[in-house]
Amino acid sequence: MEFRFLMDFEKHLVDEFLKGIGLELEKDVDETLCCFEDGEIIGTCSYSKNVIKCFGIKEEYRGEGLASSLITKIQNRMFDKGIYEYFVFTLEKNVQIFKSLGFKEVARADSVVLLEGGTSDVNRYLLNMLKASGIDVSKKRAALVVNCNPFTLGHLYLIERAAKENQEVIVFVVEEDRSAFPTDIRFNLVKLGCRHLKNVTVIKGGRYIISSNTFPSYFLRKKDDKLSIYTKLDATIFGMYIAKIFNINRRYVGTEPYCDVTNEYNKTMLNILPNYGVEVCLVERLIKDGRAVSASIVRSLLKEDKLNEVEKLVPQITYDFLKTEEGKRIIENIKRRDLPH
Amino acid sequence: MKINNPAKAGSLESNDIFVMVFPNENGNEIELESIVIKQFGKRIREVIEETLKELNVENAKIIAKDRGALDYTIKARVETAIRRAM
Repeated sequence: MEFRFLMDFEKHLVDEFLKGIGLELEKDVDETLCCFEDGEIIGTCSYSKNVIKCFGIKEEYRGEGLASSLITKIQNRMFDKGIYEYFVFTLEKNVQIFKSLGFKEVARADSVVLLEGGTSDVNRYLLNMLKASGIDVSKKRAALVVNCNPFTLGHLYLIERAAKENQEVIVFVVEEDRSAFPTDIRFNLVKLGCRHLKNVTVIKGGRYIISSNTFPSYFLRKKDDKLSIYTKLDATIFGMYIAKIFNINRRYVGTEPYCDVTNEYNKTMLNILPNYGVEVCLVERLIKDGRAVSASIVRSLLKEDKLNEVEKLVPQITYDFLKTEEGKRIIENIKRRDLPH
Repeated sequence: MKINNPAKAGSLESNDIFVMVFPNENGNEIELESIVIKQFGKRIREVIEETLKELNVENAKIIAKDRGALDYTIKARVETAIRRAM
């Protein structure tokens, strides 16, 4: 038996192997480890950033400890690259394999389970986040999760509404840096734009709120299945951990006229969050000049070079930013690329 | 002995233990997971603590994933990880 990491040009062999057992090699994997017997692949495992994925063992070699060798070796490799915290998505029937290798279950949705390994620990992570935020958890509070790409009057309207109807409000800004506007800019615009609301705290959402760490694109074949499981996992993690640790009893969401993903996400929250004692408040979007204000509209206006129309849809702080050098650079980027979010 | 960088030793194979060591600011901290935590959790922790003491380690965060390792295996893995972390 021989283990080694594959070169890019050999990776199609792994894809063929995985297809034989109903999986496939995803395009975004960073490195792929294989186990060979007489020159033939009998097991494989890959990782992409800090998610272990595309893990499979040939039927007749299962139950012989090959999984522990593969996971040890991939873990060692990740460790050497400085990745100490990692996740794995698997099906319910395989959970025990990972649990016996020291992985801990975070949450499950339908038949998919998210586990974490290495130094990763959802409770510890969130408690640290809570401590850093200085939030007093003796009070119940309402929460919002926003990407704010960029911060619009629609977001402000929703936050102000929550601030009016609740004693305390916490706004989580999605931390994953995959949007046209970088995380720090999105975060700072929201923070500055909410300064006048004394009962609102704005913090970064961290790793367990809408992040690619917790996005399963593994072994789920249909796109709609994938989306539904992703949203269920996210809502479950919010209810099980975030709402509990931050003492949240309400979550505000805006109705979504344009984006299917957000719409599906809203529906899932309405189903799941009440099970964890969190009431979901669906607020009708702010309408201006006959259309709902949304960040995607703002981005498409920027793409068409209509900065003067954007002025009516965003708070002053966002508009001022768009006119800075950095803002102009981002607008140029938006014009050149087609990003969904 | 001072822990300067993250290091690891061991494996997740049966009868072994995978030990990760990180620098820690407030004393030693041990996080243990084991398939025999109910039966031997206390003892495994003791062995780790004793090994740290022998090596005069006072600022380590230890994360150990045990798969039924015997005492001397645990000791050897912890010691190796610590020496690699110096």
